[in-house]
Formats: sequence, C-alpha cells, structure tokens
Amino acid sequence: MKPAPFEYHAPETIADAVGLLAQHGDDAKPLAGGQSLVPLLSLRLTRFDHLVDLNKIGALSGISRDNGHVVIGAMTRHRAVELDPSIATSVPMLAAAMPWIGHFQIRNRGTIGGSIAHADPAAELPAVAAALDAELEITSKSGVRRVAAADFFQGTFMTAIDTGELLTAARFPVWGKGSGFAFTEFARRSGDFAIAGVGVGLEATGGKITRAAIAFMGMGPVPVRATDAEKALLGVSIASLDAAAVARVAVGATDPTGDVHASAANRTKIATHLAEQALTRAASNAAANA
Amino acid sequence: MAQAHVPMADKHRDRAPLFEGTAARFVGQKVLRKEDPRLVTGHGQYVDDIVLPGMVHAAFLRSNVAKGRITKLDTSPALALDGVIAVYTHADLRYVPGTIVATMMQAMGGAACPENLLATDDVRFVGDCIAVVVAESRYIAEDALELIDLVVVAETPVVNLEEALTDTHIVHKELGTNITGTIDIPRDPHIEGLLTESAHVVTATFNQARQTNSPMETRGIVASWDRFRGELQLHMSNQNPHEMRRRAADLLAVDESKVHVAQQDVGGGFGQKMFMPREEAVIVLLSREVGRPLKWIEDRRENLMASNHARRDRATVTFALDADKKIVAGYVDINEDAGAYPFGGAGAGAMAGMLLQGPYKLQRTAFKSYAVFTNTCGRAAYRGPWQFESVIREQMVEHVARRIGIDPVELRRRNVIQWEDLPWTTPMQVMVYDNMSPAETLDQAVEMIGYEAFRAEQKRAFEEEGRLLGIGFSLYIEPSAQNMGALATEGATVQISGTGKVDVFMGTGSHGQSIETTMAQIVAEELGVHVDDVEVHQGDSNTPFGGGTGGSRTASIVSGAGRAAAIQVRQKVFQIAAHLLEANPDDLEIDSSVISVKGTPAGKTVTLAQVSHTALYATEGLPPGMETGLEATARHRQEAVTWSNACHVCTVEINRNTGAVSFARYIVSEDCGLMINPMVVEGQVAGGVVQGIAGVLYEDFRYDADGNPLTTTFMDYLLPTAAEVPIIEHGHIETPSNTPGGYKGMGEGGAIGAPPCVFNAVADALWLLGVEVFDHPLGPNEILDALATAG
Ligand SMILES: Cc1cc2nc3c(=O)[nH]c(=O)nc-3n(C[C@H](O)[C@H](O)[C@H](O)COP(=O)(O)OP(=O)(O)OC[C@H]3O[C@@H](n4cnc5c(N)ncnc54)[C@H](O)[C@@H]3O)c2cc1C
Repeated sequence: MKPAPFEYHAPETIADAVGLLAQHGDDAKPLAGGQSLVPLLSLRLTRFDHLVDLNKIGALSGISRDNGHVVIGAMTRHRAVELDPSIATSVPMLAAAMPWIGHFQIRNRGTIGGSIAHADPAAELPAVAAALDAELEITSKSGVRRVAAADFFQGTFMTAIDTGELLTAARFPVWGKGSGFAFTEFARRSGDFAIAGVGVGLEATGGKITRAAIAFMGMGPVPVRATDAEKALLGVSIASLDAAAVARVAVGATDPTGDVHASAANRTKIATHLAEQALTRAASNAAANA
Repeated sequence: MAQAHVPMADKHRDRAPLFEGTAARFVGQKVLRKEDPRLVTGHGQYVDDIVLPGMVHAAFLRSNVAKGRITKLDTSPALALDGVIAVYTHADLRYVPGTIVATMMQAMGGAACPENLLATDDVRFVGDCIAVVVAESRYIAEDALELIDLVVVAETPVVNLEEALTDTHIVHKELGTNITGTIDIPRDPHIEGLLTESAHVVTATFNQARQTNSPMETRGIVASWDRFRGELQLHMSNQNPHEMRRRAADLLAVDESKVHVAQQDVGGGFGQKMFMPREEAVIVLLSREVGRPLKWIEDRRENLMASNHARRDRATVTFALDADKKIVAGYVDINEDAGAYPFGGAGAGAMAGMLLQGPYKLQRTAFKSYAVFTNTCGRAAYRGPWQFESVIREQMVEHVARRIGIDPVELRRRNVIQWEDLPWTTPMQVMVYDNMSPAETLDQAVEMIGYEAFRAEQKRAFEEEGRLLGIGFSLYIEPSAQNMGALATEGATVQISGTGKVDVFMGTGSHGQSIETTMAQIVAEELGVHVDDVEVHQGDSNTPFGGGTGGSRTASIVSGAGRAAAIQVRQKVFQIAAHLLEANPDDLEIDSSVISVKGTPAGKTVTLAQVSHTALYATEGLPPGMETGLEATARHRQEAVTWSNACHVCTVEINRNTGAVSFARYIVSEDCGLMINPMVVEGQVAGGVVQGIAGVLYEDFRYDADGNPLTTTFMDYLLPTAAEVPIIEHGHIETPSNTPGGYKGMGEGGAIGAPPCVFNAVADALWLLGVEVFDHPLGPNEILDALATAG
C-alpha cells in the first residue's frame, strides 16, 4: 500500500497552481485534504506523475457572502463549515449535512472543494450542491467560469472540471423567509459513506409551498434531483403535506444499483423512508421560519 | 450500570488456603494496567517501529485470480529496477518438507494441505503469494511488483461450501478431493430411536458468516541473520515466541539456540499470530540469503484478504425432546470452510460436535464434521476457534422453543445442569464438567435484564406501536486452559535483585491480555511485595518455554508457574530473614516487602532489600551452606481443563424502515473462577462481545462468484466502532476451579457467547411478525429482505 512515484509541487498562489496543472496536463492532480486521494494512490487504484498540493494557497480558504450566495473557498475544511454559525442560518441544509461526513478527524482535513471535485455518488456535499442549485467556480489559466451543479456532476467520480482546471469555490444560494431544510441519511456505521441519503428544502408563502428541492445521494451515479416530486409540491399546503406519498414519487426519480451493503430494492426502501422523514422535518422547519 | 457479584461455594473445600504468609492485597483487585501509560498514549513499540542498520524491505506479489495456472513468470524486469536487491519465486526457496508445519500440528498428524510457501505452478486464492521482491524501500519493492511479467490462465474456482463438496473442481490437485478432516461419530440405534420417535423432533440448518481476526497491528517480521555468529534475530508480531523460534530453526536447519525471537508490544492477534504463517516463513528463509536485516510489514489489504479467515461454518442440527420438553438427544452435521491454505489445523468442527450438549443435561449426542478446501483465504484460529458450538446449540434452543411453544428461558431452566449434577460426564465420555455454574449465571442474567418486564414491554410496544423489540440469550461453557501437549505447560523464573525488586520471566506472547499486570499481581501476592515492584518480562524466546498466549491459558497455567516460582523464592526469603532476625522461618510473614514475626507488630523487622542484598552482595551473612541468590524457576502442568461458563443476554430493536438493529442492553454473567483482576476480566469479556456482535451484524467477508474478495478495505469490511456497540453490563459468579489459585481461562468467552445471543435477539424480534431467520450475517439488507417476507 505505497503509492507509485510522483513529483510533489506546493504552489502558494492559484495562478501558480493552475500554471502547474496546465503544464502537466493529465499527469497532474490537485491534492487537497488527501482523505480520498491518498488512499486511492496508496492502493494504486490511481496514479499521477505530479501532485499539486493546494494546502499552501491561503486564497482558497474562507467563507464569504456575495450577492445572495454564500461562497466557500475550495480549501475550506469541512470542520470549518460545520462549526461556522453563519452557515447554520444562511445555508441550513449544508450545516445539517456536514456532521454526516466521515468522522471529525476526517472533517478536520477534508475540504469542500475536495468532496465536490471527487464527486463520490454517496457523498453529502454533491447532493447538497445539487439540491440547492449551487454554482461551482472553476479557474484555469484562461480565467474563471461558473458551472451549475446540475451540469457539474457528470458521472461516478466525473465532473465538469477539465484538464488544467481547478475548482476554486462553491457558491450556495441563500433561501428566503419561510424556508426550511432537512438532511438525513442511513449508513451502517456512524461516519460511513451512506447507503442512501436525502436533502430537502421547502419554501412557503402564505402556507403554500412556493419552492421545493429534493436531492438523493447514493441512489445513482450522480446526485438525483426529484424534479417530478418537486413540481407536485408547488402550491401544496405545507401544513397538510403528505410526506409519505411525496417520498414515493420522489424516489421514482432514482435508479440505484446494489452493492455488498444493500440491494437496489432495499436502497429504494431506505431512501423512501429517509425522504419521508426529511420532507416532514423540512416542512416543520419551514413553518417555524414563516 | 448494573453490577452483580456472587461468590459460589468451593467444591474443593479441603484445599489449602489460597494465600499463606502474605497479605492478599493484589489478587482480585482492579489493579490499573501497567501497560496502559504507554499504550493509551500511543507509545507502544510494534514491529514496524523496529529499524535496523542496513535494513531492506520485502513485498509479495499476490494472485488476483482465485484459481489459475501460471504460464509465465518472468521476474527479470523487476530485478532491473534501481533499488531492487532480489526477487524470489518458489523455485528459489529451499526448505525441508514439514518444517513449515506448526510443532503442535506435527504431533497431530502434519499438514492439512500442501506446504507451498509460494505458488508452485498454480494459484489457489486471491492473495496467494507468487513471488517476493526485496528492495531498499517498500515503495521500490511495490514498484517492482508491477514489473514482474506474470501470466495466469484462470480456471474455475471453488468458492463456497456447496461447490466444494461436489468435488467437481479441486482446490489442491495433489489431494484429489476438497474434503478434509472428516470425523464421524455415528448415531447408535438408541439415539436414532430418540431422534425419530421423541415427542418433539426439530431440525434446522444454520450458517455463520466469514469473519477475519483484524488485529489492529497487522502481521510483520524483521529477520536479521548474523552470518558470523550463525544466528537469527527475529522481531515479530506474534503470540507464541517459543513456537516461532522452533519454526525458524527448523526452516533454516539451525539449532534452536541459534534463533532469538523478541517483540515489544503486539497489537492483537486473536489466534492469527499463534503459528508461523507462509509469508513469515518465506522471510525467515530469505533472511540468510539476503544477508541484511529484512522487514516485511503486512498492509491492511493483505491482512483482510490473505492473513486468515474464520467462522464460515454451516450446521444441520436435530434436537429431540420428550413430552416434558427435556432435550433427550442431539445430532449435528458440521461443515467448515477451510479456505485454500488453513494453518494451525483445518478446523474445529470436532470440538464443536463434542460440545453440542453445552451446559445442558443432554445425554445422547452424535455428530459428523468435515472441512472443505475452497479457493479462498485459509482458515486459522480466531478467538474461540470452536465457538460454532454455541451458535449451533443456542440458536437451536431458541428455535426449538419457538417451534414447540415454550419460553426459551423456561426451556433452558428445564435442561440446564445444576450444581448438584456436578461432576458431570458428557455423552461421549471424553469430558468431565466440574466447578461451573450455568444455572446460576442464567438466573443472574435473567434477573439483571428484568426478563418479565421486558416481555411485557415487548408486547406492548409491538401491539400499540408496531415496534420490533427482541431479547436473546446464550448460555455456554468454555473448556479453557487445555491440558494437552505443549499447551499443558508453562514456566516462570522469579528473580529478586539486590535492591529487592522483582523480575519475572515468562514465555508468553501478550497481545492485549494485560499479562504484565495480572502476572505481576500473582507474583506480588505470593512474595508479599507491592505490584509496582514486580516487572514481568515476556514476549521473548529467552524465557522458560511456554506454549504461547492463546486458548485462554494464562490465568491458570502461566499463573500456576509464576505462583510456584514465587512461593519457592518466598521460602528462601523467609529462611534468610529468619537467620537475620534469629527467628523461625515458619513464624514469619511479609507485607509490602517487610518481613516480621507474625503477631509482633512492634518487633524486629528486615526488608526484602536487606535479604536480597545479603543473598547477592553480603553473602557471608547467609545461613551456612545456603546457595546464594534469590531466584527460582518453576513449571506448571495443567492436569485438567478449567470450565468457565457464562450467560449472555441482550435486548435489541429493529428499525423496520432501514433494517438497522440497535441495542438497548447487553449483559454478561460470567463465571471464570476467582478473578485475578476484575477490570481485566471485564475488558476481555467486552472485547470478545464486540467481535461477536460484529460477526452477526457488521463484519462479513464476501467473495463474488469468481472468488474475488469484495471487502478488502475497512470501508466495506465493517468493524463496529464505539458508536455501534452497547455498554456492556457485567455480572460475576466466582466458582473456584481446582487449579492453584482457583482461576479459569476466560479470554475467548465473550466472542463465543455473543454471536448466538445477538442472533437470538434479532430472531426474537422478527418472530413478532412470524418471520424466521437462520443465517448470519443480519445486516440491514438481510433484515429488510426478511421483513419483506412477513405476511
Ligand atoms: C474513513 C473516511 C470516511 C469518509 N466518509 C465520508 C462520508 O461519509 N461522506 C463524504 O462525503 N466523504 C467521506 N470521506 C471523504 C472525505 O470527505 C474527503 O475529505 C473528501 O471526499 C475529499 O476531500 P479532500 O479535501 O480530502 O480531497 P482529496 O482527497 O485531496 O482529493 C479528492 C479528489 O478531488 C480532487 N480535488 C481536490 N481539490 C480539488 C480542487 N480544488 N480542484 C479540483 N480538484 C480537486 C483531487 O485531485 C482528488 O481527485 C471519508 C473519508 C474517509 C477517509
């Protein structure tokens, strides 16, 4: 379990980092918290001749507000987001999802950018990004572009990040008054990647749902938005929401596969239950926030 | 947390008092572990901490197909890599057949399987070793592995028990069959009659899931051959330094005195490190060729897929009961998966068969047991190697109770062996039970859990809220501290320095058993010194011969040796002290290293340091003719096994939406005789229970249909963590055994009792819906599948 040989680079600026990525092309890979990349390298499931360590680039860390969005630098540690009091009020679904990521030791190292760029189908942050229509800020030598979450996650471990590009920030929209969120998942042990999970956001005005977002994780190669269920929720009275029925519709959008931990059918069962729970909780949070 | 403690009468009242002439301050006390300051602060020293000048590193090329013929194996590209020192294949290894077989197994008929240290012309499981690279660093060694030009033509593997039995495909072509180790104790006509004509006859088949030991420290070895002395120095992570020395000497064909085995801390083993495995034998053989210290540290993936597996067993069991619901006969057919290269014996089915009756007055039993080879990782001992007996019997007891409509506790009470029944000879006439308390532990567990109240709550929660609560018991007896062969003996040297401090040398290989503490307690007690004044040196072959730390041997056998040596030294201490005090040695006592005349608190005293100074430095002061020094070596021979017993009970709830099982309570009522250190006893119980919980709910080593392992990291092979396991509550009953000290072995018990207890609790909860289960594991997937069958 030792990685294949690589050359190690530790740039201190974004410009130097993207320069190195451009120079070495597909032979280079950014190294963030290393919580996913290092095991893969050690198991020799992947290898790169050049690792570009992002840990010395101060400009990549931090949480700020910009035009109705919370902007989180790619190298911001999971733990920093989890413990930031402003996140709990501005992007409550994100705050609710953070404690589910691994164990605190992993969250001390792992980064927001690393999780999103890694795009594990069972990871929390891609699902939250998908649910909230986050924008991902990608930087290369030729500039900065923003990609919507819906276009960003393209397959298992596959994203819109191209050769020579770096994910520099994630932008999460802040929802308004009357909104409520919930995030839940089921894993076999505390801290494991989940068998299934779901994030729900609801916003209501005058007791009627005006905005709904439901995204599943672990239920397909990429986070799955339950768009039919979301549409069906619009105009529904938040007080008399039939969470079980909506959950059944929502899970219809997913197409899970089985693995050693759960068959596809049992994943669906679990996800349906989780969606019902999350819908109920989001509705009551929204009502409380009216 | 509930705690209960019941001392039982001693069946051997005429025995000598347990301690003579000392103050009984340490044995039986919760003495803090001497090991902890270094271990809990992360400063233990493990084999990978050993770094020797000039050391080089080995890595194994392992098969990634379950079965296949090697048609090409060219190591020259690897050898050409900078930093590679040598590459070896089977053709390069020279060893005498038989020398890799554990000494104990040689006495029992030799190897169960071919002795290939590296693959010859074929591979037999994913992880099978094909070649070994020696290089300047482990990194380079692993780079070189990728350069070896290997072609394997895959063949159809044998992946499970059912396929193996048909012998359609053969794992070991040399043997011609996959079936091994058959033991058949046929049913006599009387048993046959009972099994067909009794009032109740119930048959069921149970499967246990494949589990692996998963010690925190994987296997590892540093072998250093000194060609000028012709000596081998071995640092190894092992449980059994004297066996490792013997194996290494045999492999290299040198005298045992030319091999020294030493270890510092060992991060667990659970049976995995009792005997020398293939990889370590290869390193030993190569150490002389390489001529530089050679290190091999197993990585976690290797440990999971290629160290050893255990527990993959299947049994079909029949119980016959009379009209009073007394179990009158039992028969079991046991089938074990031995994998490709089992070590330390192919299986333990015979012991499981012989223990079918467990703690019950079941007078007629018979069994058949056989193991099969498969193209999977080989089997070896795992904490409680024959624990399948408790799984078979205790799951069967509750299954029978459900089928014939009797409460499972009541069924056990009708059948359990009572105090008055002891000694009790088992049906096959080979074992005699004594000094055990199964009925009492059952009563204690029932009381601690509040059985009646739980049943009422279970009913209410189901009827009013549809919740699935369950309770499961398991009652077992544990033959521990075996009295056969090398396992029946241990030695100890007790030595007092000129400053009155005590060194103890023991042949054990502690790998988590707190031996440095408990054995110091024993010696301190017998010598009348403070436990802090006793240092136990072990984990080294420069000690009196010992049979290794395993089989729950330490408490009664090793302590027997330590006790005997300490008593001899104490007698000499009293003789010298008597001379110095001008008193009679029989009138003396020692407490906290001060020797005085009994009953004269203000009288003259002499300290142990003064006595030992006299014995070593002021030898003129010794009684005339007395030998100098204060040291003794004594051995203990175990005459009979000790019988520990316990009752486990737990309560669980099944989440009907996710299939998850959560624990409400977990109670163990244990009788391991007198406890040397209750805290260590409870630690051993708890560790075993967690492994048992794991076997049913979490750990499940899986292969696909082609024999590819699917759970080769801790992401998929799930060890439960502190978050998953309940608080374990302990009850104690102390029935002294008939050994010096009255102790019984108990290190494996938790892992023996827990699997059926957990299974039974889940099965009990599912039975609320009329659903029956028979197989481990019971992860959420299996439980959701079971729930889906409910009407
Ligand atoms: C025991 C354990 C349990 C875990 N459990 C969970 C869990 O439950 N849920 C979960 O979501 N995760 C879990 N993780 C993974 C953890 O969250 C990782 O931190 C995360 O997936 C990757 O973040 P990282 O900063 O460590 O990235 P790294 O491991 O350094 O990198 C991961 C990948 O992203 C790429 N990358 C990183 N940063 C950038 C960037 N700025 N731009 C472009 N590419 C980039 C890397 O090149 C690499 O391919 C677990 C990890 C462990 C070890």
